Amino acid sequence: MLAKSTLTLAVFTWMAASALAQQVTLPLPRLLTVMPMGGQAGTTVEVTITGENTEDVSELMFSTPKITAKPVAGAEKKFTVTIAPDVPVGVYDARVMSRLGVSSARAFSVNKLPEVIRTKANNSVETAMTLPLGTICNATMTKRSVDFYAFQGVKGKRVAVDCAATGIDSRLTPVLILADAKGGDLKVNRTGGVIDFTPPADGTYLIKVSDLTYQGGERLFYRLALQEAPGTGPAPRQPQTQTVSAMSWPPAGLAATAKAHETEPNNKPAEAQKITLPCDIAGSFFPAADVDTFEFTAKKGETWWVEVASERLGLNTDPFVLVQQVKATGGKETLTDVAELYDIAPPMKVTSNGYSYDGPPYDAGSPDVNGKFVVKEDGTYRLQVRDLFGGTRSDANNVYRLIVRQATPDFSLAAWAVHMTLRNGDRAALSKPMALRAGESRAFEVAVQRRDGFDGEIEIGMENLPPGVSAAGLKIAKGKPFGHLILTASSDAKHGFSLANIVGKATVNGAVVTRPVRVASMEWPVKDAKGEIPAPRLMADVPVSVSDSEQAPLTIATAENKVFEAKVGETLKIPLKLTWRNDFNGTSIKVKAYGEGFSAIKEFDIPLKAATFEAVIDLAALKIAPGDYTFAFQSLGICKYRYNPAAVPLAEAEQKKAEQLAATMAAEAKNLAATDAEAAKKAAEKQKQAEAAMAVATSRMKAVTTAASPTDTVEILISEPIRVSVKAATPAPAVTATK
Amino acid sequence: MIVMLAGTSFAAESSRPLSFVNDIQPILTKAGCNAGVCHAKAITGQRGFRLSVLGFEPEEDYEAIVKQGKGRRVFPPAPEESLLITKGAAIVPHTGGKKLEPGSEDYKMLVRWIAEGMNYAQKDEAKLSGILVEPARVTMKVKTTQQLKVTAQYSDGSSRDVTKLALFEANDRAMAEAGEQGLVKTLDIPGNVAVMVRFGGRVSVCSVSIPLGAPVDSLPPVKNFIDQHVFANLKQIGVPPSPLCDDSTFLRRISLDIGGRLPTAEETKTFLESQAPDKRDRAIEALLNSPDYADYFANKWTSLLKNTRSDAADITSNFAFHAWMRDSLLANTKYDQIVRQILASTGTIVSNPPVAWYKRVKEPTTQLEDVAQLFLGVRMQCAQCHHHPFERWTQAEYYHLAAFFSQIGRKPTAIAGEDLIFHKRGIAQTEHRKTRVMLKPAGLGEPELDIAPDDDPRLALVDWMSKKDNPFFAKSLVNRYWKHFFKRGLVEPEDDLRDTNPPTNPDLFDALAKSFTDSGYDLKTLVRTITQSHAYQLSSTPNQYNAVDRQAYSHYYPKRMTAEVMLDSIDMVTGSKTDFADLPAGTRAISLPDNSYNRAAPFLKVFGRPEGASVCECERVQSASLAQSLHLMNAADVKAKLTASGGRAESLSKAEMPEPKRIRELYLAAFSREPSADEVRISENYVVKPRTDAAGKPLDSQRAKRNGYEDLLWALLNTKEFLYNH
Repeated sequence: MLAKSTLTLAVFTWMAASALAQQVTLPLPRLLTVMPMGGQAGTTVEVTITGENTEDVSELMFSTPKITAKPVAGAEKKFTVTIAPDVPVGVYDARVMSRLGVSSARAFSVNKLPEVIRTKANNSVETAMTLPLGTICNATMTKRSVDFYAFQGVKGKRVAVDCAATGIDSRLTPVLILADAKGGDLKVNRTGGVIDFTPPADGTYLIKVSDLTYQGGERLFYRLALQEAPGTGPAPRQPQTQTVSAMSWPPAGLAATAKAHETEPNNKPAEAQKITLPCDIAGSFFPAADVDTFEFTAKKGETWWVEVASERLGLNTDPFVLVQQVKATGGKETLTDVAELYDIAPPMKVTSNGYSYDGPPYDAGSPDVNGKFVVKEDGTYRLQVRDLFGGTRSDANNVYRLIVRQATPDFSLAAWAVHMTLRNGDRAALSKPMALRAGESRAFEVAVQRRDGFDGEIEIGMENLPPGVSAAGLKIAKGKPFGHLILTASSDAKHGFSLANIVGKATVNGAVVTRPVRVASMEWPVKDAKGEIPAPRLMADVPVSVSDSEQAPLTIATAENKVFEAKVGETLKIPLKLTWRNDFNGTSIKVKAYGEGFSAIKEFDIPLKAATFEAVIDLAALKIAPGDYTFAFQSLGICKYRYNPAAVPLAEAEQKKAEQLAATMAAEAKNLAATDAEAAKKAAEKQKQAEAAMAVATSRMKAVTTAASPTDTVEILISEPIRVSVKAATPAPAVTATK
Repeated sequence: MIVMLAGTSFAAESSRPLSFVNDIQPILTKAGCNAGVCHAKAITGQRGFRLSVLGFEPEEDYEAIVKQGKGRRVFPPAPEESLLITKGAAIVPHTGGKKLEPGSEDYKMLVRWIAEGMNYAQKDEAKLSGILVEPARVTMKVKTTQQLKVTAQYSDGSSRDVTKLALFEANDRAMAEAGEQGLVKTLDIPGNVAVMVRFGGRVSVCSVSIPLGAPVDSLPPVKNFIDQHVFANLKQIGVPPSPLCDDSTFLRRISLDIGGRLPTAEETKTFLESQAPDKRDRAIEALLNSPDYADYFANKWTSLLKNTRSDAADITSNFAFHAWMRDSLLANTKYDQIVRQILASTGTIVSNPPVAWYKRVKEPTTQLEDVAQLFLGVRMQCAQCHHHPFERWTQAEYYHLAAFFSQIGRKPTAIAGEDLIFHKRGIAQTEHRKTRVMLKPAGLGEPELDIAPDDDPRLALVDWMSKKDNPFFAKSLVNRYWKHFFKRGLVEPEDDLRDTNPPTNPDLFDALAKSFTDSGYDLKTLVRTITQSHAYQLSSTPNQYNAVDRQAYSHYYPKRMTAEVMLDSIDMVTGSKTDFADLPAGTRAISLPDNSYNRAAPFLKVFGRPEGASVCECERVQSASLAQSLHLMNAADVKAKLTASGGRAESLSKAEMPEPKRIRELYLAAFSREPSADEVRISENYVVKPRTDAAGKPLDSQRAKRNGYEDLLWALLNTKEFLYNH
C-alpha cells in the first residue's frame, strides 16, 4: 500500500476568499527566461535573463563546464555566454546564483547551426522576417498572433522546419504552417513535429508559427530551425529535455545500440521473425497499426523479463507486449495467452488532479513495458509488440527497443521536492530548486523503479554538499516504492554552492550496487494546476546552495546531537529544540513524521513559540523491529513572512538620492533659464532624466516595501533528521507457575 | 388512367379461425394503436396497456391484450363488451379517440377473434414473406390520382390483398398525397416521388414519376456524366432547363460554395476580362487549392462532429480538432482516411487531435448512431429498442454495430475531463438489450466478424465502411456534398438513405457514388466534378416552365448565405472586421473552431449557426425570420460595420475617382458584377444629395458623401441579390 506522502493542511475558507492572498511556499529563486534560449557551439552569445526572487544575480551557470558566462558590465540581466566548440548538440540546464541561492533551471540548447533572434514584430506577410537556410531563430510568441518568416526555396531541394518548444521548457504548443509567398497555406503541422517540405518551384515561401490556441507571452518561446534535409531519411529534429518517465531508462550497462533489428513483414503470425532469447532488438511502430511478431522456443521453468522503451525515448507511443504459446495440432494452430504486458506502473500514486493533490504531481511510471513471463511448458512461443496509439498513425520516427532478458535485478531512482496539498483546492506545483535558507530542512521524495524482481532495501545518500549542508537519506525499505531524503542547512551556514550527487545503494545478488538518483522538478512555478497543467521534467544535474541572506522561519532539531536508543515496545522520548524566527498563525503546529518505521506515528501538536518540546513516541504502537532508523518530523505552518526587508532601507536611500538629484536639476534649470537658453535646454533635459530616474526609484521603493510587508505564507516544516537505534526487548522474566 | 379497386375484404375464409399474427395485428397497426405516441410509448405504453412499436413483437402484444391487466381487455363470453373493443370504438371514454367504427369490417373481425377464443396463430400458419405494391413504378401527370394495390405474400405461397390494412406515406408531401386506402394524388410539382407502403413489418415502395411534359428543345452541352443524368431526367419529365449562368454569377457562386466567401472586386474584374476558354475550370481549381476551401468545409464538418465548447478548458481540444479537420482538407486527405483517423483514433488529443471526437461522443450507442447517420446515412436510433419501422434494420444489427465500439479503453490524462484512448485487448461484443445475447461486430447487413482480441475492431469497421462495394459510405457522402452545392439532396433528408426513401435520380446517384469511390474517395475531385458540370452552372432564373421544379435541378436553386459566410461577406463589403476572442485579428467567421463564438456574436446565432449538438445538418437553420431582417436593417453590429472608420464607405467617399467608378467598385464587391446604367444613375443621385445631421444642420460635403455611401451600402446589403447565392 502506498503511504499518503503529500502534506495536508486545512486552510479555512476565509483565506480562499480573501484578497490578501496566501502565499504557498517561501519564495525561491527561479530563472524564468533566457533569451536567446541557446546558441551555436563555438560561439559567444549575449543573453538576457528574467527571473523571480532573483536579486543580486552574480553568476549564470550551466550544467556543463564547457558553457561559461560573464556578466555584461553595466547591464543587470545580461550575460555573455561562451559555448566551447566541442559542446555536443543537446539541451543543458542554465541557472543563476542570486541572493537566495541557486535558481531553478531553464533549458539552454546548443546546436551546430548559426542562430538569430527575432527582434521586431513579424505578424503579417508584409513584415515576415527573412530566415536564411540553416538557421535557428529564437523568438517569443505574441498573444493572438502568428509569426511570419520568409525563406527562399529551391525547386526539389528538401528542407526541414522544426520548432522546438515543449522540449525546451516552453509553454507553447507550436503550430507550423508552410505557406506560399502570399500566405496561402500549403502544409501544416500542429502536433509539435516538423514540416518536411520539398519546394515545387523556386521562390519565396513563408513559415507561420503560432500557438495552438493563440496564447502568448514570455513563457511561450520557441526555437525555429530551418535547415536543408538532404536524402530521404527522417527530417532532423532539435534535441529535447527528458520526461520524468525516462528516469528508468536505460538499464545500467545497456549497449548504446541494439544488437538486432526487426524485419518486416512480421505482422502476421505466419510471418513471425524467428529469434532466440535473450534478445535486444530495435524496431519501429510503422506503418499504422503495425504489429511486430517474434517467435522463439523456451523451456519449462524459465522466467524471462521483457522491457520495451519507446515513450521513455521521448516519443508519443504506448507499447504493448503479448506473449502467447503456439501449439499446432493436426495442422491447426492454437494460441494460449501467456502474458499481457502493459505500462510500467508509477511507484507512487500520481495526483489525479482532482480537488487537491492526492499524490505527487510527478509520474515516474511510463506507458512503456517492463514485465515478465514464466514458461510453463517446453515449446514455441510468440511475442507481439504493438503501439496502442498506433492504429491510425504512420510515423517511422516512432521507434522502440525490445529487450528480453533473464532476471537482472536492479533499480532506478528519481527524487523530487515534496509538494503540499491545501484543502481549499489550491494546487500549487512550484519549481523548487535546492536553494536552502540557513537553518532549513527540506524533504524530497525518492521513488524507485525496481527491475526484474529486485525488492531489497535501498540506502539513499548525497555527496559533494556545500559547507554547512548535510543530507540524510530515509532509506527505501525492502519492497517499498519510495523513501525520503532530508537536506539540512545549519543555522550558521554561510552562502555556499556545490554540484552534488544523490545516490542509492543496495545489495543485489550479494554485490553492492550504486545508482544515481535523477532529480525531477517543475519547469514553471504553477500556482494552480487546474488552470495550468504542470510540466515536470528530469534535471541535468543536482545543484545545491545555501543562503545566509535569510533564515528558515522555524528550525526543529533534537536537543542533543546523538543516536537515541530504545527497546522494542518502549516509549521513546525525544527532546526537541525549536527556533522560531517568524510569527506563525494559530496556536500550534500539527506534527507527523517521514521515514521508514516512523511514518505512522500518532499526530501531535507543538505549541507555537515553544522553545523546547518533548516528543513521545510509542514504539509498541508502531510495532517497530530492532534496527537503526532515521526519520524526520514534518508539519505545515502559516508564517508571517517578509521578503528581503534588507532591501527597503537601500531602496529608500536610492529614492532619496534620486529625489535630491531631481531637485538639484530643477533648480539648475530654473537658474539657467534666465541667462543661457542653450544651456537651459540641456539642463531641462537632464532634469527630465533625473525625474524619470526618481519615478523609477519611487516605484521600486514601493515594490520593495510591499514585498517586505508581512505575508501569510504556508510552508512545509521539516525537522533535522533524527537517528534512533531500536534494540530487542529484554525478555520478560519467566513467570513461575504457582500451585 | 388505370384505377384499381382496393380489395373490399381480405381473403380470410370465414371458416378459418382468425389468427392474431396475420389477421388482428395488422388491424391494430392500421388503427394506430401501436404507434410510438400511443400504446407503443416506451416503457409505459398508455395507462398500463403497452404494445410493441408497429407490432414488431406480436408475442408480447398478444400477452398484453389477452393476459395482462388480469385478462380484463378481452371478454369471450360477450366479445363486444371486451375493453379492447369498447375502448377502440370509444364506447367507453378513450384518450386516443375513436379508432374503430362499430360495425365495420375491422370491428367485426376483432369481435370474431375474441369469440373464437383468441388464437395467437394457426398451427403451421404461413408467415408473411413479403409485400408487393402495384404498380411499383408509375408515371402520373400533375393533379391526378392512382390507386395502389398491396398484396401480402406468405410462406406457403398464398397471397392476399391487404391494401386496406397497409399504411401509405409519400416521401415528399409537397408533391404527392397518399390516402389511407392507397389512393395516390399528385399535386402540381413535377419530378419523382416515392410512396412508402408498410404492412406487417414489411416495407415496399411505389416510385411515381410526375412529368411536366413541356417541350425540352435545347439542352446545354454535356460537360460530364452529371449533365447526362440530370438532362436525361429533365427530358424524361419534360422540364426544360434554364440556360447557363453568366460569368459574374458563376464566379460568385463557386466562391461562395467552395470557398465560403465572396470574390474580391479584383478577382471579379480579372475573371470577367479573361478570354480563356477554360477560365471557369481554372477558377474552380484555384478555389480548391486555396485554404478557403479547407476553412469552409472544416466549418461544416466540425459542427457535425460535435466540436462544442462546454467548458473554458475545452479550448485546446476544440482548437486542435478543428485545425486537424481543416488541415486534412487542405492536404486533401482522402475521405476514407479522414473517417479512419477519427473512428480508430488513439492517444491524446494534443498528439492526435481526432481523439477529441471520443471526448465529445462518449457512449458506444451514441458513437454507433452518429457514425451510422453521419458516415453511412443510416439512422439506427430506432433499432436500439425495436426493429426499425421503415427499414430492414433489426435490433440485433444495432448491437452488432455497437460491438465495434465495445473495446475502447480510456485512461485519464493530466488534463481534467480528457481521456486518452486505446484499444483494450479483448473480444469485441455487445449485449443485445432484449435477448441478452452477446453479439460480435458486424457491418450493416453483413455477417458477424471474427476479430482477434488484439485487433482494434474500429479498424475493421472502417475497413468495411470504405470497401468499394459498401452500399452506404460513398453514397452518403456524395448526397451530402450534392446538397451542399444544389441545395437539395438526391435523397432528402440527406442522411436518411433507405430503400423506402429512394433518390430522385437513381442513375445519377449511383454514378456519382461510383465516381467518388473510383477516385479513391477524393473530396476535391468530387467538388470539381460537381462544380464543373453544366447542371451546376445553370442560371437560377427560371424559364416559363421550370419555376415549379423543386428537385430535378432544372435551374439553380438560390441559397441564403450561411451565418458565417454572410458575416464575412458583410465584413468584406463594408471593409470592417469582426473580433473573435482568442483568435488573431482578421480571423474570419468561417474559420471559427467551435460554437462558443455564437454566444458573443448574436449575428451568428440569429442567422442559424449550429451549436454542434447533433450530427444532423438540419441543426443549421437556413430559414428566414423576421429577426434576421431586423438584424440586417437595424442591429448595432451591422450599423457599426457600415460606418466603420477606415471602412469601405469612408474610403470610397475619399477615393480619387469619379462617382460612377466608385459605385462600380461597390457593385463589384457586393454583387460581383458591373452595375447597370440605371443603377449608376440612381446611386449617384442618391450619394451626391446634400445631407443634414440629426439637428438639421447641413453636413460638409465629405461627411455627407460618406453618409451617402453608408446608406448605399446598407441598401445593397439588404437585397436578396447580396444575401443569396444565386
